[in-house]
Amino acid sequence: MTRVVIAAIVLGAALVASITTAVMIGSADIGVADVWGSVVAHLTGGASPLDTLRDGIVWQLRLPRILTAAAVGAGLALVGCVMQAVTRNQLADPYLLGLSSGASLGAVAVVLLGIGILLPVAAFGGAMLALVATLGLASAFGPLTPTRTVLAGVAVSSFAAALTSFVIFWTATGDSYREILGWLLGSLAGARWPEAAIAGVAMLVVGVPLMLTGRVLDAFAFGDRAAASLGVPVVGARWALLGASALLTGALVAVSGSIGFVGLVLPHAVRLMIGPGNRALLPLSALAGGVFLIWADTFARAAFDPRELPVGIVTALIGAPVFAVLLLRRRSMA
Amino acid sequence: MNTRTRHHLRRPTLAAAASVAGLALLAGCSAVSANPSPEPSTAASVTVDNCGTSVTFDTAPERVVAIKSTSVELMLALGLGDRIVATAFTDGPVPEQWSGELNAPELSAFMPNEESVLDVEPDLVYSGWESAFAADAAGTRDELAGLGVASYVQPAACRSTGALPKLTFDEIFSEITELAAIFRVDPAELLAAQQQTLDAIEPDTRGLTALWYSSGSDIPYVGAGLGAPELILETAGLTNIASDVDATWDSLGWEAIVAADPDVIVLVDATWNTAADKIARLESNPATAALPAVADKRYIIVPFASGEAGVRTVDAAASVAEQLAALP
Amino acid sequence: MTAVEVRELTVRVGDRPLVDGVGFDAPEGGFTAIVGPNGAGKSTLLRAVAGVEHAASGMVLLGGEDLLALPRRQRARILALVEQDATTELPLTGRDVVRLGRSPHESLLGGGDRDAADVVAAALERAGATEFATRDVTTLSGGERQRVLLARALAQQPRILLLDEPTNHLDLAAQLDMVRLVGELVAEGVTVIAALHDLSLAAAHADAVVVLAGGRVAAHGATEATLTPDLIHEVFGVRAEWTRNPITGRPLLAVG
Repeated sequence: MTRVVIAAIVLGAALVASITTAVMIGSADIGVADVWGSVVAHLTGGASPLDTLRDGIVWQLRLPRILTAAAVGAGLALVGCVMQAVTRNQLADPYLLGLSSGASLGAVAVVLLGIGILLPVAAFGGAMLALVATLGLASAFGPLTPTRTVLAGVAVSSFAAALTSFVIFWTATGDSYREILGWLLGSLAGARWPEAAIAGVAMLVVGVPLMLTGRVLDAFAFGDRAAASLGVPVVGARWALLGASALLTGALVAVSGSIGFVGLVLPHAVRLMIGPGNRALLPLSALAGGVFLIWADTFARAAFDPRELPVGIVTALIGAPVFAVLLLRRRSMA
Repeated sequence: MNTRTRHHLRRPTLAAAASVAGLALLAGCSAVSANPSPEPSTAASVTVDNCGTSVTFDTAPERVVAIKSTSVELMLALGLGDRIVATAFTDGPVPEQWSGELNAPELSAFMPNEESVLDVEPDLVYSGWESAFAADAAGTRDELAGLGVASYVQPAACRSTGALPKLTFDEIFSEITELAAIFRVDPAELLAAQQQTLDAIEPDTRGLTALWYSSGSDIPYVGAGLGAPELILETAGLTNIASDVDATWDSLGWEAIVAADPDVIVLVDATWNTAADKIARLESNPATAALPAVADKRYIIVPFASGEAGVRTVDAAASVAEQLAALP
Repeated sequence: MTAVEVRELTVRVGDRPLVDGVGFDAPEGGFTAIVGPNGAGKSTLLRAVAGVEHAASGMVLLGGEDLLALPRRQRARILALVEQDATTELPLTGRDVVRLGRSPHESLLGGGDRDAADVVAAALERAGATEFATRDVTTLSGGERQRVLLARALAQQPRILLLDEPTNHLDLAAQLDMVRLVGELVAEGVTVIAALHDLSLAAAHADAVVVLAGGRVAAHGATEATLTPDLIHEVFGVRAEWTRNPITGRPLLAVG
């Protein structure tokens, strides 16, 4: 238990430290005191020490983007944990199982085809459809093994990605390549206060309750019947958990596009620190996910300054090798 | 947003002079464009409908971030080099005729991000490409406006408000005039020089066809029927093999190119994709190596920026005509 | 004597009944063995009684109340099931797994169970699984994992304990430990119902037996009275004779 407490304190401190540090990093050279003077001025209604443009850099570009990164990272890591537990599949991840690309498709369809639904709702619809398609396809092959599920996820996510690209090509004017990259690879470049609000509210309303379901998820460890014998309403709980996961993924993808591998890597990393019990794993993975994505995005916007890199490239560069290691471990176990 | 005015302004048959009059009406002061007052700050405000966004300039911009070479060059041609505080994503060095007039640093050899743009404290971001105005590039136009930074897209590069009519020199001249009005300078001298160069071009009369090869290896990206390449080729007396494609640029397969068998090939030279590279590609591909134009090296080379509608389009047409005349 | 009354329980897969109208009484605070040849439907019957396998019809009555009609969490506080060969890929520790047994007693968010740690420790101790408390359960042997799962069921503090082949994977000494534990639980008033393929084990220790064949009850009642040589020959196709265990003096079913 002490290990969990220590990890919680370390990760919580790291999240606060990451937000405060990342806001000082960027193309523009703005002093620490001025950055914080600007933030404090906005919070208290005082006068910013910076001119309009530099103040805009801190308050309109950097801070909402960092907060969005924290919420998106936390949410994706959380959804990864939940999906791994519910599907009893260590390789489950909202990106690998197609939820993210399904959500992208829903979001792109609304934005570009002008369908009159709220963006996060459409993204949720896309995520849910993709999830049902993945699980349906995987169970059509035979018993729902992890490998089959991932393969079905690859098929569904490629298809949704192709449809997304098609919709953008069909309707977009001008330079559509960058927009496609933004949705498929995930980017936080467009994150401003409205995006931070969507991601933040989704984390509060869906994410926090989901964080408290650790005990229910643990009950799934020995399979559905064991869960049922422990009093878990298996079918209802599974769909409620997956539905909440899709809802959260939808809201996050609507603001950031489909950022990959956060939901895969962070739960595994946190498990190495504190063990597999979901009760501690869920909140701590969320904290770790927030910290991770803040730094991945800070790297994406500052490393090749003044060019922007889609943050999904950074997370995939880190996540894909981890995925490979997990696959190898599975093979050696089998 | 007043798109009607915009289309009115860019009606291809309009003469440059008529456009000046139209602008003056927009500006609400008949003296603004034609004869700028000696004190620019006292001039009445200029409002333009720019690619679906209405932009008002109460005073002439003083600190400009110019993205892409077309915008940099048009400002230099109007003698506005000292207003540029930074450039970005340019396509090659500043042409010789203006060397020394630009002292601003280049923010990035590629598309800059918004933070780096805001950091040089511009009052105008002027881009040759519309895609610069996005959240993951120099910032959206609304957001920039909210921070007190004006934005302006080269009108010929506007895509988001629908297809543009076929480019004409009148259109290019009216764009020069509009920019001059924004900066409260007199474009008359520049326009006269452009017109003079244009008048001096002797179109080729041999009835030759041409391919405008911009980039791409697997699928070449070529100048099509509506943009600057078409205008330049027509002016030089060439027939564009892709002239029936209703676009500024388009992807055209090698098969279609070989079937059309162009008499000459116009190669675009950019720092990031040189003409020499393209010659090597044409000569190494068996299908294109057999084309008479490749076998006889009937190449015409133009700098990248002249392929986009701007102040160098006239020069490009003259250069193409000259290079063409030298080809047997 | 009160009993757990199983009434007309039927489980179907498609149209095929796996358990067909099964009814029996298991004496409360007694040990009832379900015996029968392979494929007789023993495991399915246990699951149906536990309410984790959907029963097309039937009831499981305790004190006149149908357990199958109770909400799951409430049922899980009364009834625990230990399945055979339940495995996980999640590298939980033994204690984590046993802790799961407390979940029906906790509030939904995991609070309200102050004694959890003590109950878990006692359950581990009783099932002989204390040494596995900190071990990763995916690395345990079949017999070791079986003890952990038994401890989990004990942590549920059930009034009815359902065991599916509890002696599988266990060596002889461990089998006797298990039998002793079942005896203790029964003495404490827990109703134990176990599916056993080992007829002599059932004969030696069960208070009552249910003989299952082809998904139906072939016979049920007090052990010695029910497991007649004729019935055994009919159901299992082997010869059997009652005698006495020379060591314990208890009735022994000799099979040959």
